[in-house]
Amino acid sequence: MGIEYKKALAIFSENVSVEDAEGLLDWLVKNPKGKINLAACTHIHAANLQVLMVVKPTIAAESKDENLQKWLNWALAN
Amino acid sequence: MNALLEQFLSESRDFLQGIGEKLMQLEDEPDNTEFMVELFRFVHTLKGNSGLFDFPEMTRVLHASEDLMDSVRNGRVNYSQTLADQLLEAMDFVSVLIDEIEGTGELSNQYTNTSAALAKALRALIIDTNLGSDSEAVAILLESSGALEESVEFNVSELELPEATAMQSYRDLKIGNSVIWLMYTPDPECFFKGEDPFFLVRQIPEVIWSSITTSNNAPLAEMDAYDCKLTFQVITSADISELHELFRYVPEEVRFEIITQANDLISPMGEHNNEPVYDDFIEQAQTLLAKNNTEGLRQLTSTMLELSSPALWCSSALRWLLLILELDETNGALHSALLESLHTFSLTIPIIESVVSDEKLLAENDTVHVETVTNAKIDEPTESNSVHLSKEEQARVNAIIHSQKEILNLPNTNNAWLVGRLKAVALTLKGCCQALHKNEALENLDEALNDALAQSSSEPLLVWLETYSKDFESLVEETVETAEITTPAQITNDEVIQETQKPIALKATESEANTEKLDASPEIKFNRRSEDASAAASKTLKVDQEKIDRLMNLIGEMVVAKNALPYLANRAETVFGVRELSREIKAQYAVINRVAEEMQDTIMQVRMMPVSFIFQRFPRMVRDISRKLGKEVHLVLEGETTEADKNIIEALADPLIHIVRNSLDHGLESPEVRAAAGKPAEGKLLIRASQESDRVLIEIIDDGKGIDPDVIKNKAYEKGLIDETTLERISDQDAVNLVFAAGFSTADVISDLSGRGVGMDVVRSAVEKVNGTVGIESQTGKGTRLFLSLPLSMAVTNVMIIESNKQIFGVPMDMVVETVRVPFNQIRNIKQKQTTVLRGRIVPLLSLNDLLAQNVEQVANEDKEFATLIVRVHGENVGILVDDFRETVDIILKPMVGILGGLSGYSGAALLGDGSVLMVLNPRELI
Repeated sequence: MGIEYKKALAIFSENVSVEDAEGLLDWLVKNPKGKINLAACTHIHAANLQVLMVVKPTIAAESKDENLQKWLNWALAN
Repeated sequence: MNALLEQFLSESRDFLQGIGEKLMQLEDEPDNTEFMVELFRFVHTLKGNSGLFDFPEMTRVLHASEDLMDSVRNGRVNYSQTLADQLLEAMDFVSVLIDEIEGTGELSNQYTNTSAALAKALRALIIDTNLGSDSEAVAILLESSGALEESVEFNVSELELPEATAMQSYRDLKIGNSVIWLMYTPDPECFFKGEDPFFLVRQIPEVIWSSITTSNNAPLAEMDAYDCKLTFQVITSADISELHELFRYVPEEVRFEIITQANDLISPMGEHNNEPVYDDFIEQAQTLLAKNNTEGLRQLTSTMLELSSPALWCSSALRWLLLILELDETNGALHSALLESLHTFSLTIPIIESVVSDEKLLAENDTVHVETVTNAKIDEPTESNSVHLSKEEQARVNAIIHSQKEILNLPNTNNAWLVGRLKAVALTLKGCCQALHKNEALENLDEALNDALAQSSSEPLLVWLETYSKDFESLVEETVETAEITTPAQITNDEVIQETQKPIALKATESEANTEKLDASPEIKFNRRSEDASAAASKTLKVDQEKIDRLMNLIGEMVVAKNALPYLANRAETVFGVRELSREIKAQYAVINRVAEEMQDTIMQVRMMPVSFIFQRFPRMVRDISRKLGKEVHLVLEGETTEADKNIIEALADPLIHIVRNSLDHGLESPEVRAAAGKPAEGKLLIRASQESDRVLIEIIDDGKGIDPDVIKNKAYEKGLIDETTLERISDQDAVNLVFAAGFSTADVISDLSGRGVGMDVVRSAVEKVNGTVGIESQTGKGTRLFLSLPLSMAVTNVMIIESNKQIFGVPMDMVVETVRVPFNQIRNIKQKQTTVLRGRIVPLLSLNDLLAQNVEQVANEDKEFATLIVRVHGENVGILVDDFRETVDIILKPMVGILGGLSGYSGAALLGDGSVLMVLNPRELI
């Protein structure tokens, strides 16, 4: 559960919890070109959101959850 | 409402009472640390309790109170009058909340703001007296509270909303929805508190726009993933109350602003172009606008829009123009301003109050209400100088004036009240004057008031009222006149303003007195409300048990007195020969009987208690004991809501504890033994209560090793409880029942838990004392089932009256199996004992006279049959020979006291309807 890390891709599961934030940050620091796959994701904890906002990795696949994607667009806009 | 909540509410009232009392005592002895500590304890407990429920408003205030009390207790803050006031205020608030919860079962979100304000006021006290200290926490506290205070003037136009968002907000505003901007800055530590701000924000309904930013600029390597530096901004058309509800846990981290000025939202954006292509268009448009041809203007604008590139600033402005044309047709000035802006690329919006939306919001939210009221008052003089009132409004003004007159005409008996009265009247009149723009009257009013105060009489104010009352009354005509003078175009505009402002102005007058007081001291007063409410709300009544007992005794006597009526009826008929009277007495008896029975029933209900009263101590006890014994036990409680009389429940407590201990100690095995026996390591202990007709059945079932009958037999034989013949003959079930025998214990070592040989024997006698029975079933290796059967209530006992040796006795009906008449010739003597065969079973017969040591033969009837009462004692049927049977009656059984108390053959005595005493036998002891 949480996030599945491939070589250069982090695949977010349905719900990414607060515990995953630290791992995500570490991974992004080690893999600056790592991409994020949000397709299956329906909610990420605010801590993960903050990591994504600060690191601004490439989003390989947007979330299929329209509501989440709408919010992510707002968050990752700038 | 669940039982836990009910208990919380009732306890909380007690705590509040206690807190109030302690505060009062502290007023007298501010240095008494004992009171202080106790006070802290009360507040602390109350806070802890409130945390069990979902009442953040209550917990927040209590938490702040607790912190304050903690500081006081530790001497960091000095106890003061203001502190006591603030605490009492907070407690009043809590009491209001409790009333609300009691009434509705939940807490509405209307208290969120008040709660936050109170908590802040309380915390401010901690800081105030502590300013000099170097405590870091204080500094942080100060900072955060300050940040919230001096929130920057909010302006929508500075948000730079995307055009689509702004347009949608504008549309929502125009159609009457409220549009709210909120900024949510979660606590940096919030991730550690299990909060998910993003989740919370995603719950906001009707979101139009949002912006999420983070102020986290640290280099990636140093970034702390769990330091929340997010800020959420959201524009929503949701209801403000919904938002308050959503953010009720974090009110201090959210800022709400209600967008009222729709025009602020109009902000075209895009690239500036230099081509002057628009000049023609603007000219044309202005002409159409002057002619009031909106339709033409709309078409022209649409065409122009199609011709321009959508990214241009001008296109944006045109899109806005279209929207405004659609929603706000009459606002020519605004249209013109937008057209003008096409020249300059900057929009100056003419200042036009958007009154309609103001009023809508006013209806929705009280806090806004106050603000709008003030605005309206300031605006009034500039907007219009004459006032138009509808007939209704005029009537209201008249009513206000009239009541002021009445007040002024009150006899002047108490000087202490006069000053306040005069001031109140003056304030009300002042409000009226302001609302109605009677400036002249207003000036004179102050003089009149000063005169009145100087003279301590209401005369000057009355004179003033006489002088100006005509002014107030003649307003209706004026309205008509002014309306006629104004031009038709203005009328529409004016009317809108008048319509909306009149009610506001009137409200302002009515609430004038209150608002002014509030301005002077911004504290929130709950005293009155809470006093009003508590009188009506407190539904539970704590009564001394003695009083209930007394009531029950009285009802018992009532039952006895009532029972005398049939005797009386009988006498009326047989002795005095008045049959009519006898019948009437009987009819009357039926009525009294019904009422008495109902009374008895009700008082029984009062005494009923759920078994959870004793059950609730088991989880802890089982946990402690099983730890001590190194056993794993899973405790299951069932039927906790089963109710029984308080005495029964109380009598049950000790035996049950005993049984549970026994089960844990002897019944359930240690995990290793269980595993070896192929059972799950965790033993199961089930305690179940249920109701069976008029009895409560309590079962204690464990899946332990059970009772081995052979071990019991041998032990009993060793201890001399049974002789050798019994040892050989006794059945397994009977052997198991031996555990109830006095002095029996299987444990070789006496532990602090059990093993003294008084266990089950004590249980049995305790249960039997309240007319209960206890039984045990066991299967070796599989487990044990112990069951207690107890009467629901011991107040009324149904007994059967029997006659023996010319005396009458009662036998509890629940022991009587049946009554038979045994013919003399069917009684056989086995050894020295009489027996008979009843339905194929041998029943031992005992003569009651023998049992009572009366040397008289039982009397048989004419057919040589003996009246035999078959009773069940210790699971066996025994026949008791008596002389005759009588009726059954309900009696209030009084246990024997004093010297007679030692006679165990009798369970008590009762009064019969004819005044005679009935002795009730206890066959268990007799036999």
